[in-house]
Amino acid sequence: MQINEQMIREIVVQVLQDIDIPQPVKAAAVDERPMTLVEKGEARPGTKADEVVIAVTPAFGKFQHKTIVNIPLSDVLREIIAGIEEQGLRARVVRVLRTSDVAFAAHDATKLSGSGIAIGILSRGTTVIHQKDLPPLSNLELFSQSPLIDLPTYRAIGSNAARYAKGESPTPVPTRNDQMARPKYQAKAAVLHIKETEHVVPGAKPVELEVRF
Amino acid sequence: MTIVAGIDIGNSTSEVCLARFNGDKTVEFLASGIAKTTGIKGTVANLQGIIMALDVALSKAGLDISDLTEIRLNEATPVIGDIAMETITETIITESTMIGHNPATPGGVGLGVGVTCSLAELAAARSGEQIICVIPHGVDYEDAARMINSAIDEGVLVQGAIVNQDDAVLIVNRLCSNIPVVDEVTMIDKVPLGMLAAVEVAEAGQTIKTLSNPYGIATVFELSAEDTKLVVPVARALIGNRSAVVVRTPQGDVKARTIAAGVITVFGARGKADIDVDAGAAKIMELVERVQPVENVQGEAGTNVGGMLERVRQVMGELTGQSLNEMKIQDILSVDTFIPQKVRGGLAGEFALENAVALAAMVKTSRLPMQQIADQLEKRLNTRVIIAGVEANMAIQGALTTPGTAKPLAILDMGGGSTDAAIISRDERTFAIHLAGAGDMVTMLINSELGLNDVDLAEDIKKYALAKVESLYHIRLEDGTVRFYGQHLPPEVFARVVILKDGSMTPIPSEHPLERIRYVRREAKKRVFVTNALRALARVAPTGNIRHIDFVVLVGGSALDFEIPEMVTDALAEYGIVCGRGNIRGIEGPRNAVATGLVLSYHGAEAG
Repeated sequence: MQINEQMIREIVVQVLQDIDIPQPVKAAAVDERPMTLVEKGEARPGTKADEVVIAVTPAFGKFQHKTIVNIPLSDVLREIIAGIEEQGLRARVVRVLRTSDVAFAAHDATKLSGSGIAIGILSRGTTVIHQKDLPPLSNLELFSQSPLIDLPTYRAIGSNAARYAKGESPTPVPTRNDQMARPKYQAKAAVLHIKETEHVVPGAKPVELEVRF
Repeated sequence: MTIVAGIDIGNSTSEVCLARFNGDKTVEFLASGIAKTTGIKGTVANLQGIIMALDVALSKAGLDISDLTEIRLNEATPVIGDIAMETITETIITESTMIGHNPATPGGVGLGVGVTCSLAELAAARSGEQIICVIPHGVDYEDAARMINSAIDEGVLVQGAIVNQDDAVLIVNRLCSNIPVVDEVTMIDKVPLGMLAAVEVAEAGQTIKTLSNPYGIATVFELSAEDTKLVVPVARALIGNRSAVVVRTPQGDVKARTIAAGVITVFGARGKADIDVDAGAAKIMELVERVQPVENVQGEAGTNVGGMLERVRQVMGELTGQSLNEMKIQDILSVDTFIPQKVRGGLAGEFALENAVALAAMVKTSRLPMQQIADQLEKRLNTRVIIAGVEANMAIQGALTTPGTAKPLAILDMGGGSTDAAIISRDERTFAIHLAGAGDMVTMLINSELGLNDVDLAEDIKKYALAKVESLYHIRLEDGTVRFYGQHLPPEVFARVVILKDGSMTPIPSEHPLERIRYVRREAKKRVFVTNALRALARVAPTGNIRHIDFVVLVGGSALDFEIPEMVTDALAEYGIVCGRGNIRGIEGPRNAVATGLVLSYHGAEAG
């Protein structure tokens, strides 16, 4: 057998095809569905055990409309809500104003959630599933690498949160990991975080949101 | 005054019993020690463990090695067990006739019958036509619902839908009529279009009624009596599901195929006999009992079972360094089990529980090099070391120190690799046997039936009780009681079924509910230990009748289990036998029987 450059090239291509390099998510394939968020005054604690509260941060859908990898936030919220609805539960959305930290925002929301389960989501896409009895900086599932979260993952996050609320034992949503995501997106993440934090209102109560698509 | 140490080298632990013999021949037990057996039982590697266990006992008694008069070792029984498993059935779906998977969240309720039609062609359907809509990948639930709604407005009778994504509830919530929808059908492009199909979804907590009934399928598809016979495997495969799809194609079929597993030949003292592994565990065991004592077992060459038994021989051969033809299988225990396996030809990654046979085999090896261990020990410790007696006899002597026992007495030694039984009659005659199958087999059954692929986890499930973490501050134990915690539990155990292991919790990473895991665990223990207890006692009973045994003492590692002794006690109570966990010398529980027996035999040897 002769080994020539052509052959090596082909082998390299084949090997590269087999290696699953996590790619940052491309902008959404799904066409954007416009979303309106209507503020309904201060959010009250819920009593229904079949609700999962989704906590969005100050700039979400108001000043920022896309995640760090340009997925429309309307699609993100829609997929999370769909994941919850598919499991037969209801989603309630609140905006947490006092912090731009995803863990604290989600933990505030668990206190409002009738099931004790809440999902926190930052405008840049970072997401966490939280439970009311946990300390704020603990969590049930954390998705910290926002550039790697795609829409099916958001759907699965909603679905898993709903299953925790049902008392089931879901398998944690598989998270991807890419050590290059941090150096590549750190600057952008920092800028987005500063933009988000500008809209924090210290001491403000969470606000109930009505979501219309 | 003499001080004697009895040392029992077991498969997993080495145990020591230390006693003082006074001038008037009374014996005073001083202390006992236990350590993990180092290396494989019966090899020189055991020395480390022996010395460790001895040190524990000596320091408890405040003595030194130089105080010892004699060390007595057991003559370990040269049997080693191994286990193997093979599936004997296989389910194959040809031509995509059914989708028997069980999505967690199907949508709608009821039964819908119609011709399959893709969503894109729904607009072209004629009014009044009965349709089952097939929704491919990438279609948004709102779009799908809108298109179905507009078709219904046009007068098309959409009876049900088959969906690729996990969208069933979302679609049904947006439809103007409630139709059954089955989702998460991964290979949706393989669903034949233009064929008559039925979709059924049951209420939450219920199972389908029509498609799991052959006559139900016959009614839906207007089948003849001949055709109805052919759909029995389809109906059977759908029993217990909450949702199902059956498509009628000209050639479609579901086959529950039996894999030729091969023939086992059992050579016994009373002749030899063949049996097909397909006959199942009960028939195989019947045969083994008929020809016992077994002298060798062989599997048909070139079949699954042949390979399986050959593997056992090979492993044993490597372990003991003996040649393969010297490896004679002395006993087998076969147990019916099932393994979750992916269905070939399935469209939604369906799993079917396939029948399998698990076999434990026991191999008798030539005498283990105990003399070598004794010599080395003697050199190391400068004390007389004697190989004192056969393990089973020593175990009986030890077991007799359990308060409330009397001769004639039988013991059941339930270990990891084998189940041993021995009996002593009123006139001091003893008889012992060794059977294949014990703790390791239970672990294997748990591992395969729950599909864990993790032997250590299966071992933990076998050993410890389960609980469900209901909130971060309380758990519900498997008997239904609740335990509260002042501090919150770690989040990784939240909502999971956990193993309560020495005060810590290990979450079980599977979706099986607690009840199912508990059921599998208990059934595996029953199938191995209760079966073997009855088998072993029937063999040692002087008349061959279990009823003629009065007392049975359970000893060995598996007798420490939290439920095995109760199961065996319960099963033997039917035969009027007093059976319970041993309590050696009234303090040791089921442990230390052999070591205690060894010490007591010193007394006997001196007197005799």
